[in-house]
Amino acid sequence: MTVLITGAAGGLGRALANECGRRRYNLFLTDINAEGLSCIKQGLERQFDITVATAACDLTNKESVDKLLDIIDKHEIRFDMLLNAAGMDFEGEFIRRDREQLVKIVLLNNAATLRITHAILKRRRPGRQFTIVFVSSLASIVPMPLKATYAASKRFLLDFAAALRQELRKDDVNVLTLCPGGMVTTKDTMLGIKAQGLLGEATTNPLESVSRITIDRALAGKSIYVPGILNRILSFLARIIPRTWAAAAVYRRWNTAQSKWLSISS
Amino acid sequence: MNTVVITGASSGIGLETALLLTQKGYNVLGIGRSEINCNRAKEWILSKNPDANITFYLADLMQQGEITRAADEINEYLNEKCNGKLYALINNAGCVRSWYMTTNEGYEQQFALNHLAGFLLTYKLMPALLKAGGRVIMTGSQSHKGIKINWDNIMLQKRYNPLTAYKQSKLCNMLFAKGLNDRFAIHGIRAYVVDPGLVKTDIGNKETGALVNFIWSLRKRHGVPPSVPAETYAFLCDKKNAPEGLYYCLCKEKKYSRQVTSENADRLFKLSERLCGVHYGEVLKI
Repeated sequence: MTVLITGAAGGLGRALANECGRRRYNLFLTDINAEGLSCIKQGLERQFDITVATAACDLTNKESVDKLLDIIDKHEIRFDMLLNAAGMDFEGEFIRRDREQLVKIVLLNNAATLRITHAILKRRRPGRQFTIVFVSSLASIVPMPLKATYAASKRFLLDFAAALRQELRKDDVNVLTLCPGGMVTTKDTMLGIKAQGLLGEATTNPLESVSRITIDRALAGKSIYVPGILNRILSFLARIIPRTWAAAAVYRRWNTAQSKWLSISS
Repeated sequence: MNTVVITGASSGIGLETALLLTQKGYNVLGIGRSEINCNRAKEWILSKNPDANITFYLADLMQQGEITRAADEINEYLNEKCNGKLYALINNAGCVRSWYMTTNEGYEQQFALNHLAGFLLTYKLMPALLKAGGRVIMTGSQSHKGIKINWDNIMLQKRYNPLTAYKQSKLCNMLFAKGLNDRFAIHGIRAYVVDPGLVKTDIGNKETGALVNFIWSLRKRHGVPPSVPAETYAFLCDKKNAPEGLYYCLCKEKKYSRQVTSENADRLFKLSERLCGVHYGEVLKI
């Protein structure tokens, strides 16, 4: 089993890399952070006695991705699984955000994800089942004021993945969409979750079990994974109440949480 | 003047121990993560003891690269100022986590900081410790009892329980001290673990969730001030002839878990060497 993981030097990507390492999969890791990549490569090789290939890459840059593909083709690496973990988020009011950063969210979360998915699908191992995981978010279930661009970019992935799944069914490809709540990956995410109060911690998913179950479900051919009972209830509710109501409720909630978050983190 | 290195020296038990050791005339090198906290700690120590010899080094010991960098800086200092001798290393830095979080290497954070950081730092400073016939002291805990090392899943990736991770990391401290004594006692090194008891520090309030935070806030009210365990560290540094025990609380030897065997210590030593990419045997060859 040969797996490509994007965004593997931190957060969910690193946790997925650990999980794949535990399963002794062959790993090819990429991330924009070259130093972080060499750390996780070293850690995985020492922990699991496996060989890990890495190449730093800016997925939003076509030339950078072409170089990555050259490396892959030069070594004739062919994949059985693609875990699209690379993604980014900036919080806050649309009009107050930096314009280029906002555009970057869509460039990475969507455009870059499409580019690498297309490229790796062309490099799947012939004659074997192929698995793709898209990391969407609980944020994809309703329009989210104050996280508008991020939430919409995650909605894009949710819909795109569901459609792609149907297209690729005949080619023996599984497509899974992961929609997690908050996950504690860094000190900052932890402070963000704390600022949301009790509901923040209640919707938080344990990183290690999300990673494990994601891979289990993807291999079992499931289409969507929303970790946690509360998150499943929330995503069900989101489907039955009007979207304008949901957006208004989210706005009230984020407004308080974000001002609290800004006061903690500053 | 004897030089002592203390990790996690900018607050809690490490800070009080640093102060006490400067008062006893040691040259103290503290390691802390935040520049603001280290500066504050230095000012506080100097306000209590204007003659203190205290220097702080900045390093996030969660990251192996930072441990190596800090150790290089300290070794340079020791070679310049102390004839390359380090009298004692106190591996005190530790953390509590509510969730499974990993370091840059992908190692579980409580295991990485509470055990591996001390393991790697001790390795890096071992030549200086050997020169001085030095002592290595770990901050342990009574909670090392009633648990076994989960050898197949030491980072607890499969079923993470924050308290289990903490307890296991404290058992690792015991096994590391045991392993050090087995290997280096004949070369003049002694290793100890101090049980500080229940101490009023903020360990359970740093980067933890609401539940751990709340429980710790209740628990620490019954704790002793950190100046109490500091006495035990000073006792273990001060004794002219190195004490023979392994586990100390309130300056007295204490019973420890039956899991602390040479067999388990060897196994942990080998695993930790692999995870840190070092071989203790090489220190003796130099």
